[in-house]
Amino acid sequence: MTGFLDTLAMALDTLRANPLRSLLTLLGIVIGSATVVATMALTEGLRIKVTSDMALLGNAAFVVQKWPAPGFGDQDWARFAQRRPLTREQGEALRALPHVAHVSIEDNLDRPEVIATRERATRPVVTVVGAVTDYEEANAITIGEGRFLSEVDVALGRRVAVIGADVADALFPGGRPLGREIRIRGVPFEVIGVAARMGSILGLESKDAFAVLPWTAYELALGRPRDHYLGVVATSPADVPRAIDEVVATLRRLRGLAPFAENDFDYFTNDSVNQTFEGLARLVGAATLGVCALALLVGGIGIMNIMLVSVTERTGEIGVRMALGARRSRILAQFVVEAVTLSLLGGVVGVLLGAGGALLAHALVGVPASVPAWAVVLSLASASGAGLLFGIYPAARASRLDPVEAMRAE
Amino acid sequence: MTAPLITADRLTRHYVVGGELVRALDGVSFDVREGEWVAIVGQSGSGKSTLMNLLGCLDTPTAGRYVLAGTDVGTLADDALADLRNREIGFVFQTFQLLARATALANVELPLVYRGLPRRERRERAEAALRSVGLANRMHHRPNELSGGQRQRVAIARALVGEPSILLADEPTGNLDSQTGEEIVRLFADLHARGHTLILVTHEPRLAARCPRAIRLMDGRVLGDGPGGELASAGGGRVPA
Ligand SMILES: Nc1ncnc2c1ncn2[C@@H]1O[C@H](COP(=O)(O)OP(=O)(O)O)[C@@H](O)[C@H]1O
Ligand SMILES: [Mg+2]
Repeated sequence: MTGFLDTLAMALDTLRANPLRSLLTLLGIVIGSATVVATMALTEGLRIKVTSDMALLGNAAFVVQKWPAPGFGDQDWARFAQRRPLTREQGEALRALPHVAHVSIEDNLDRPEVIATRERATRPVVTVVGAVTDYEEANAITIGEGRFLSEVDVALGRRVAVIGADVADALFPGGRPLGREIRIRGVPFEVIGVAARMGSILGLESKDAFAVLPWTAYELALGRPRDHYLGVVATSPADVPRAIDEVVATLRRLRGLAPFAENDFDYFTNDSVNQTFEGLARLVGAATLGVCALALLVGGIGIMNIMLVSVTERTGEIGVRMALGARRSRILAQFVVEAVTLSLLGGVVGVLLGAGGALLAHALVGVPASVPAWAVVLSLASASGAGLLFGIYPAARASRLDPVEAMRAE
Repeated sequence: MTAPLITADRLTRHYVVGGELVRALDGVSFDVREGEWVAIVGQSGSGKSTLMNLLGCLDTPTAGRYVLAGTDVGTLADDALADLRNREIGFVFQTFQLLARATALANVELPLVYRGLPRRERRERAEAALRSVGLANRMHHRPNELSGGQRQRVAIARALVGEPSILLADEPTGNLDSQTGEEIVRLFADLHARGHTLILVTHEPRLAARCPRAIRLMDGRVLGDGPGGELASAGGGRVPA
């Protein structure tokens, strides 16, 4: 143990003797570790965010639609476009199912709209949905001011609207939006409620840029979509699988699918969105590891180079140490420890930079970031691994020097 | 009489340089007893350093036998040689060979580091060694903050600290002015008086004359072996058979 501490002390000493050169040498290792940690911090941050942000739906809710679940891969949109629409009648039929508590039948022309008052207009466009009252439960809407749509609003086709917080901010910067008039495609609606702010998806896409209208009024003002989104809320979170079974069976029957035919609709829960993200995260992780392996390789070669230079410069010193009784294994250990210390130092600097960068990005731009301990351990371990691997050859060269020859070198 | 501390028996060291054989040492034999002070003299290129490197176990002979404190050095592997150097040999070099970045104390501790002694004992012994060469108040100076004579004292302290059975010095005054050289010689004389076994290479007749015994080399052979006073000038002394 004394031996190791002495060796370590010697290593630190030589690093201190040449701080700038040591630092430059470490650049590869620093970049490698910084990349690992930064990428992992961002991915981990995303993961945490995704789990909460992608909870677009209520706890026990799932969505049934003609389109495949939101994903990150390529989708054959033409094939899905040919599917028959989900009708209002099919949606209504789901209400009777034993494990279904709510069915939110949503009119959405998938066409962002501009909402205006006499003075202002929303600049980023807004998603406008024609809804039934179940929309509130299916989409986990919390009302901030006023109220949500009522059965009467829907039945009478009242021109009323519940707006998201972004819309309220844009149109009524002075506040007090309730009772005010907004226009969608020139048709006036009265604001009866403002939803509590829900934030954004991964700091990018706001979840508060929407307006919900009674579907009856929606169809008058914006036109009648053929297709619908169905937000289904099960009787409890545990009942979701049963509710899905019932819904799938009912829809297959209503849509006249033959027993072995594929479903001509899709459904997804919050969980399935998260799983899609996990796949993406793994992909990003693999790509990052590739980049880092490359950076560590470059860094390792840098370490090897500097250690070879160091052995040459310190040939005399090596000779003296041998003359004083250092065994060859001791010289080997000294240089290996030096290389590992050097690269570990680079790893630490890299981790600090990477974590600092990720957290800075979080603070400045709001990108989610969280530094996982395992990423720190991974970078430090791989940095010292690179030092060990690439430090062995120079160290072996040092240990094989002839003491008399070495001392003659100046 | 007890067995000699050192027995050199027809020690031979040849180099091949550019296809040509250089007989740096060509069958050198002598004994050194404990407590002796021996000077090795001879012209430049006569083989003095080559001999010292063999005696210091830094190099191995091409032929011949070298026995140090009962150990036949020729039979030893690298690690055993390193341990032997560490325990039995104290080496002082013409160019001091101190580690530039280490303090005097750290330099002196080094042999004890390789002996695996605990930090505290190392420090105490290194301090004692530095005090014994008159450097009690220079322990934390680095070599470039010391004069030539002081550096050589550090080197001597480093050679002494492990209590080796023999102290070897290759032209220890070669890089010093004559007055500083004289101080170092007095230090050696003092060490001799305290019972240390010393072998030192010099080409200064004045220094050799002070040694009780001198061995004169020429072209890798022993030209004479006798009292330093007689051998200080070229050609003196008895030539071994
Ligand atoms: N490593 C070596 N390779 C080749 N020749 C050497 C080597 N070391 C010493 N010699 C030769 O051996 C002879 C003795 O050298 P050395 O022992 O250094 O002499 P001295 O120390 O007496 O001046 C010289 O001719 C020198 O050139
Ligand atoms: Mg010489």
